[in-house]
Amino acid sequence: MRRSSTAAAGFTLVAALAAVEASAQPSAPGSGRIEVSAGAAWIGTQSYGAADASETTPTNTAFRLFSTASELGSAPLFGARVGVRVAGTLVVEGDASYGRPELRVTTSSDVESATGVTATEPIQQYMIGGGATWYFPTANRILPFVTGGGGYLRQLHDRKLLVDTGRYYQFGGGVVYLFTSRPDHGLKATGVRLDARAVVFKNGVAFDGGSHVAPSIAGSFLVRF
Amino acid sequence: MTRRRVIALIAVAAVVAMPAQPAFAYLEFGVTAGGRQVTLKWPQANVRYSVSNTSVPGVTAADFQAAVARAFASWEAVPTSAITYQFAGFTSAVPGRDDGLSTLGFQNRPDLDRVLAATNYVIDSATGALVESDIFFNSSFPWSVAANGDPARFDIESIALHEIGHMSGLGHSALGETELRAGGGRLVTAAEAVMFPIAYAVGSTAGRTLRADDIAGITDLYPTGDTASRGSISGRVTKNGTPVFGAHVVAFDPVTHAMVGSFTLNAQGQFSIGSLSPGPRILRVEPIDDAETDSFFDASRNVDIDFRAAFVDRLVVVPRGGDSGEVAIAVVPK
Repeated sequence: MRRSSTAAAGFTLVAALAAVEASAQPSAPGSGRIEVSAGAAWIGTQSYGAADASETTPTNTAFRLFSTASELGSAPLFGARVGVRVAGTLVVEGDASYGRPELRVTTSSDVESATGVTATEPIQQYMIGGGATWYFPTANRILPFVTGGGGYLRQLHDRKLLVDTGRYYQFGGGVVYLFTSRPDHGLKATGVRLDARAVVFKNGVAFDGGSHVAPSIAGSFLVRF
Repeated sequence: MTRRRVIALIAVAAVVAMPAQPAFAYLEFGVTAGGRQVTLKWPQANVRYSVSNTSVPGVTAADFQAAVARAFASWEAVPTSAITYQFAGFTSAVPGRDDGLSTLGFQNRPDLDRVLAATNYVIDSATGALVESDIFFNSSFPWSVAANGDPARFDIESIALHEIGHMSGLGHSALGETELRAGGGRLVTAAEAVMFPIAYAVGSTAGRTLRADDIAGITDLYPTGDTASRGSISGRVTKNGTPVFGAHVVAFDPVTHAMVGSFTLNAQGQFSIGSLSPGPRILRVEPIDDAETDSFFDASRNVDIDFRAAFVDRLVVVPRGGDSGEVAIAVVPK
């Protein structure tokens, strides 16, 4: 039963690609003024470093009770983006995403041999911002681009008991692969967009209040009007 | 006003007795007054104190007064606490008398061979409010006010800081590590609370600085108006399904690396740690095994120290102006 279902799905995919092949035309990257995309992303782990829980000795030095190592775990994100072509191949964008990474603190080296644990807490993360994407001029269906931007970071602790806010900045690049391109239609193009970015987070739930970089890859379905 | 002198020796080197059952965290003291349990504290924001006009070898009355004034200033400098202290002058009175003066000074008590200093109280038995509190420093020990400490003497400012905590209503903290000495007693390896019951050894001045646990304690007793910016953690400790009394629960802040502790204080094994800054915490629970249990609780209480230290496997969030919600902690026997 499973095998026959897989075969059917594979056939459908092949048929769809054939249809795209038939309709897609080499397109100027700037065709269409409005660009909308929605999809999923994965964002990597951010290390918040190590710290000791220490007491003070009679000579004012630190005596370690136990050690901790902290991170915000990797997580899937779901997001959407709206862009407006402002000049040539330059698109100004607004974007928003949502994810649920896990805040983790691992304890070790306890002075009384308490078993180490990884204490966790689910975080709800919202990112709302903007930026710009510049497409390399090309007449192919594959449109490479570079992108950059930033925005507002909102992270809610477990059961929304507490809110931490911060900023994020991101830069990277990717490609858009156009399935269809019909400059004379209302729906001028459809395709997929693949992004690879470095995201710099500032503040939020980070324990040190500093900046932390995480890699991110994303895939989204794109339409142009 | 009806007064009752409560005989209490809350000592730095060893604790002889406790005046009443502790009520809440850090530890605060609870007293029974008018048929109800109330937290021991001063009813007024400004506490006046006098200093005995006596001296000991190496420490004049003026030296002593300057050292205790620095200790009072340290407590007064806690920004989240509203209590203040005022020097009312030197006096010929001595500590330990019900004379309406809160007096600090030396007394020669060679019989208390492990007591560096002690605090006692006069309590209004109708309201439970503090009326008077005296602190004596045992002059049978060598004392110093040297800026960097004296390797052969105990530091007055450090010991005064601890006793003024008691004078303000704080009990002992268990945030410290000790090792047993061959000749009896315990040696402090490290501590993270001025209110740890055992003093650092001679020569140390490490006890001149208030720690996060002390600050949370005094803040909980005398909070400034900004209580909405602080929160609490509460929960329950059990062993094999049975509540544990006297377990020490420590909240570690991964942001500031500060630790604040409290105890399970009732038959349900419940604890509460208040006056915490908002944010996630690592919780660690341990038995009280670095000091005698009667340093913290009345000797009649059945303090359970037969369990292993353990961490809670989730981060506990301190909300702004609220409580974490009950955290259930199960420990296992040693």
